[in-house]
Amino acid sequence: MKEYDVIVVGAGNGGLVAGTTTAQAGYKTLILEKHNLPGGCATSFIRGRFEFEPSLHELCAESTSSELESTKKIFADFDASVELFHEDTLYRAICKDKEMGYDVVMRADIENFLDDIEAAVPGCRASVAAFLNLCRNIDGAQVYMATGKNGMKLNPFVLMNKYGDFMRTASHTTEEVEIALGIPEKARSIMNTYWGYLGVPTDDLSALHFISLLTAYMQVRPTMPYKRSHELSLNLVKAFQGFGGEIRYNSEVTRFLFDEKGKAIGVVANGEEYHAKKIISNIIPNNVINRSDAKKLPKRFRKLANARKFGMTFVTVYLGLDRTREELGIDDYSVFITRDKDPRVQFETRKDCGYYVVNCLNKALPDATPKGTSTLFFTIPFMPGDFPEDLTPRQYKEFKNSIAEKYIKDYEETLGISVRPYIEEISIATPVTFARYLGTPEGAIYGYDTGNWDNVVGRTAMEPMEFNIPNLYFCGGHSTMGDGFPSGYITGDRTGRKVVKDLRKEGK
Amino acid sequence: MSKSSIKKLARTGLVGVITKRLSKVGKASDAPAKDLLDYYPNKLAAALHPKAQQVIIKEIKEFSPDMKSIYFAPNPAKGTDSLAWFSAGQYLSISVDIEGKTFKRPYSIASSPADTLNGFYMLTIKRVGGGIVSQYILDNWKEGMEVTVSAPLGDFSYERLRDANTVIGIAGGSGITPFRSLAKAISEGDEPCSLVLLYGSRTLKDAVFSDEIEEMSKKCGKIKLVNVLSDEKAEGCESGFITAGLIKKYAPEGDYSIFMCGPQAMYNFADKEIEKLGIRRKFVRHELFGEYFHPERNEDYTGNIEDRFNLTVTIAGKTTTIPCDANTTLLRAMEAAGLNPPSDCRSGRCGWCHSQLLSGKVYIPASVDGRRLADKEFGYIHPCCTFPLSDLAIDVPPMPQ
Repeated sequence: MKEYDVIVVGAGNGGLVAGTTTAQAGYKTLILEKHNLPGGCATSFIRGRFEFEPSLHELCAESTSSELESTKKIFADFDASVELFHEDTLYRAICKDKEMGYDVVMRADIENFLDDIEAAVPGCRASVAAFLNLCRNIDGAQVYMATGKNGMKLNPFVLMNKYGDFMRTASHTTEEVEIALGIPEKARSIMNTYWGYLGVPTDDLSALHFISLLTAYMQVRPTMPYKRSHELSLNLVKAFQGFGGEIRYNSEVTRFLFDEKGKAIGVVANGEEYHAKKIISNIIPNNVINRSDAKKLPKRFRKLANARKFGMTFVTVYLGLDRTREELGIDDYSVFITRDKDPRVQFETRKDCGYYVVNCLNKALPDATPKGTSTLFFTIPFMPGDFPEDLTPRQYKEFKNSIAEKYIKDYEETLGISVRPYIEEISIATPVTFARYLGTPEGAIYGYDTGNWDNVVGRTAMEPMEFNIPNLYFCGGHSTMGDGFPSGYITGDRTGRKVVKDLRKEGK
Repeated sequence: MSKSSIKKLARTGLVGVITKRLSKVGKASDAPAKDLLDYYPNKLAAALHPKAQQVIIKEIKEFSPDMKSIYFAPNPAKGTDSLAWFSAGQYLSISVDIEGKTFKRPYSIASSPADTLNGFYMLTIKRVGGGIVSQYILDNWKEGMEVTVSAPLGDFSYERLRDANTVIGIAGGSGITPFRSLAKAISEGDEPCSLVLLYGSRTLKDAVFSDEIEEMSKKCGKIKLVNVLSDEKAEGCESGFITAGLIKKYAPEGDYSIFMCGPQAMYNFADKEIEKLGIRRKFVRHELFGEYFHPERNEDYTGNIEDRFNLTVTIAGKTTTIPCDANTTLLRAMEAAGLNPPSDCRSGRCGWCHSQLLSGKVYIPASVDGRRLADKEFGYIHPCCTFPLSDLAIDVPPMPQ
């Protein structure tokens, strides 16, 4: 049996940052990863002469206005900064709604964004500005919450008085706040385009969550490393190892071990027991419960897992094309294509080209692919239950191809360009692919759905009460912050610090 | 539309969020969470990509002492109830235990995907000069023996959104196996393409599966077989080698995709011929190149091929030092030392042997350097295609249990 101070289960974004934090503080840390690569979704794969990235090639919160908790700062604290590249436009949104269609390019930076939306919907500027302005109060409140003496324990009176707008956005949906501010419908449709990145339509999405995402994107711009996200992950591994940490691949944790009192004491991987003072799970609570003596876990913890809905997953199509983007007429880094102006309808028609995103990395990184070639990346939202349960292994290949074919065709028709004849490499991932690599139920990418009662506000407020298993900590998309690379990094950072603090408190 | 309109919204809603959450969680069941395999995408993922497959040798058909077809059936006693579906052109990495050491080799599946529903995979294995594994299999494997194989792997498969409607298959020797699978898959309706198979053999007698594929082509208009014989003339066959002229003669009008599988010498010849045709790179696909030998024949090789080095290997925290010759890949050295490292394609492509180079200098032939950009920057290698130029230390993931 091996003894460590800290064992991290899963080398996803959160796990890598949490483990590096504890290793940097001098604690003997082991990361156990089921796959043979680090990073979870932050990785890459090769087909022919193309290196594809399984997830969207962008970080939205390299740094936030508060500079308190940012990916940039996290990497810098480990002396593991990666050169990052930026794209100046946020997105092009093409809405094919019969009455209220549009084709707009929205630029990053708040002033540019306001200019662009005013041009598309004259007269909306002030109301949109008021909406975006709410982020200042939100950021202030988040700094208050994260730095408060009592950690995440909130004083509701301070929040209500000093951070009233935060309290409003925290408890209302995006659309409720937008409507209260009098933002016209068309402007709402344009600015709500990013809902898919959070997997919840804006009539059910916490305003706070959405404003944070949108303003982070605006201020920082879509950001990406040159060598796909594999570069970010290997860089973190290097920092981790530099602090004396040990990482083991092909080492899936199959069992979590607890003592009589329900304290986490260790794990089992490849049939071997590992013990530690603290265990950090980067894997989803459902999988922890499945690999534990469930009776030893608090009732509330089990109930919570059963009460929650899994969040979004995707069908993604990776294309390597044997023409440049200029030759093909691909002008944009991100294009969002929708059929209806209303995010709710977009969500409901997701299986029928109602909402999808197409990215061309070459727009941001011209030499991301070999000379004379380019790449396109389709992101098509899939929700748990969307996957047909009668699909046989025999039908699977054609199932993937028919989805890819439908979306490629819709994209070609919408943009009036041709890409299919130029496909040199193609790879199609589905919820089955994500289930295989991530091992999450339904192939959920970010854990749980952040809509309605399980929004980020409720998660954050209730975290101390819901996640109170002694010596067991959590980080990752399934944790408090929901979707995206930064939330993995940031929750990893918070958890790593908390573990260090607790170990010190316990005199270890 | 004044900014104050936000004030219409209550500040106390947070209480509601928490109450609702408490109520939702309170009402939920406290049963253990549902098993992963109860979710359909996870169940399908496990069926398509099992971590390993336990099989039993059901039948062995001998073409000659140097070439046999092996039929694998599932081995439910060891936990495999059915065989994973695959795409024609994929391979299995088989594990062979020889004197207590585990060796792995990739073999294309020669049976069709639909044959998995009939309960078998068929591989055709040819003796390779100096190949200890093929030798061992041909001399020792008997019906009833238990074998561990991987899930189906590889991307040497037809993709209808990428490839032309017609595939010109260029097969040499035992490179016929993926094309037998593809022909049968076409005849069974599992692949939508047409296949024109240019099959190079020395004599017609050497052209295994030729009769069988000819039979398939009589029943299915989408399959055409052309035997190309180098050492004899026979009626209805082409003689000589597979040249640009020959490809043109049998190619359809418009686009076609060339798929090649055969020995390195065939690729060297065929690649030059194909170049004359001026077809786009996307229409030319090679099967895995296989084990790499003779790095010293490359101009950029800087080592001394006679050198012998020490290779220090750490697997799951255990460190061993073993010999590794300059002419041997790190993977082969580890296998010879009985370390059972992970490997599947053995051609630098699949990434399963991905390992960290801790110290020392290595040579990686450019043609098989399938590493990611960041791997190169941070010192990760594929031992299957890496040769030592000095003493080395590497960290290798264990084979998962």
